[in-house]
Amino acid sequence: MAAKVINLVCERACDLSSHVDSEGRLKDIAGAWVVSYPCSGMIQPLQIEAALKAGAEGVVVHGCQLGDCYYREGNKMIHDRLIGDRPPGLKKAVDRRRVIGLWLSRYQTQRFLTEVKEFSTYVSSLEPIAAAAAAKPADKPAPKTDVT
Amino acid sequence: MAIHPLYTDSLNKGMLKIEHVTNVIATSKYNPFYYHGALPQFFLWVLFLSGLLLFAYYIPTIDQAYAAKEMINAYTSVQYITNTIPFGAVVRGIHRYAGDAMVITILLHAVRVWFTDRYRQYRIVQWLSGIVLFVLVLVIGQTGYYLVWDERALVLTRMTVAAFDVLGPVGEPLKWWFLNGRAITNFTLANFLFIHIGLSFSLLFFLWIHYVRMQRPIVTPPPVINYILMALVVVSVYFWPLHMEPPAVMAMHPTTFDVDPFFLWPYWLMSKTNPLVFWILSLFLVIGSCLVPYGPWAKTPPVPVAEVVDNKCTGCSLCAKDCPFAAIEMVPAPAGSRFKLLATILPYRCSGCGVCVGACAFDAVDLADIQDADITARIKALASSQS
Repeated sequence: MAAKVINLVCERACDLSSHVDSEGRLKDIAGAWVVSYPCSGMIQPLQIEAALKAGAEGVVVHGCQLGDCYYREGNKMIHDRLIGDRPPGLKKAVDRRRVIGLWLSRYQTQRFLTEVKEFSTYVSSLEPIAAAAAAKPADKPAPKTDVT
Repeated sequence: MAIHPLYTDSLNKGMLKIEHVTNVIATSKYNPFYYHGALPQFFLWVLFLSGLLLFAYYIPTIDQAYAAKEMINAYTSVQYITNTIPFGAVVRGIHRYAGDAMVITILLHAVRVWFTDRYRQYRIVQWLSGIVLFVLVLVIGQTGYYLVWDERALVLTRMTVAAFDVLGPVGEPLKWWFLNGRAITNFTLANFLFIHIGLSFSLLFFLWIHYVRMQRPIVTPPPVINYILMALVVVSVYFWPLHMEPPAVMAMHPTTFDVDPFFLWPYWLMSKTNPLVFWILSLFLVIGSCLVPYGPWAKTPPVPVAEVVDNKCTGCSLCAKDCPFAAIEMVPAPAGSRFKLLATILPYRCSGCGVCVGACAFDAVDLADIQDADITARIKALASSQS
């Protein structure tokens, strides 16, 4: 099965109108879904974490060209949050390999599709999230059972 | 969440297409279009500096009485700057061409914000103060031409007086103020110098208004763009050096002069029509530009203003720091709150972009038409579905 990739996109960035169906499925790439925002600055790092936790294998954050935001600084904000320069950022536990940022202009739809396709192939080559979580030591030691 | 068709109109598409091309050439970090507002600001500093150097040697008088004894006056001091002071001609040329470049970049800035639909609603203060700034820049540039006190300056001064004359009772005090008296005297030149420099400093006040509704305005282009712009100005100085026109002589009545297309086009307009028509056209142009944000092409639904959920806000100030339009104010939290501060939205400044929603880790801000909880729920549903 194709990797499930959630694309969190700014509706003013590259033009996806003819590539997304009414349910939000990205037609050209199996398993890729689109959630659009008025500005990429609205994307909460918590939502990226929520997507990965709920079973997505990768998250694409897509905003306009850095330097050009209709709302002045939205893409800069989420860009800085993703790289950890601005709070609130992603939790340390988040697998950074599964999150990418794409900053493209309205005319770079093809570039977007290529990058998402490549990313989708890449995340499906990673070990499954469940296996990775199992391999990791548990966050807290198991509660001691009271022996009487 | 459909975007307004205005956004997809041809002007905007054209502008974004041009910027896409410049991005390919220069990369987004050095794309001059992404610093369109900072370019005139850069030239302002160039003008302040070069103007300071010119000011050091400029003598604002029209004294002709001792011309034979080589006593200095406005015209001869400019001549001295141009011909005698090392690099004086270069500094003067830089001052002239940086002014022209400022007009070009201001127009570029205005066209860009208009075409990309970034000039109205919550940006109205920027648009209106921008018009004031542009008019001021034109007036400052024109007074710069008076200061040389050559034949052209004399014609321009007389045309300005004629323009004030048609305004009747309003024009009379203006004329008195402009000439600093009833006739052209030494005081007139002193006044021109004051208008030129005084208004230049008043630009800083209007720039403050221009920037006050923006968090972290971009006021400096990257150094490499500055170097290129400066190089273009210096190259222009080299290839088109400034000439001295004949000095102004009060008894003479010169009728023609070279028109600088950037600053002196209002005088060209006046010479082609008459002062009254000129005033009406100018008024029409200024009021028309002020009304651009209210035209039929600018009809959009109201902004979905952000709303704070008071009992969730922890007063962490992250949204207020990140808001690109300085639309969030931190106020003391109401009595009984566990926290010290509470975020409040200034609705007339809010653009509805949602950057505050992205900044809030406590789910305490929402846009009027979109709940971030709904988006999170949709993301979870998509991520966990099997299709």
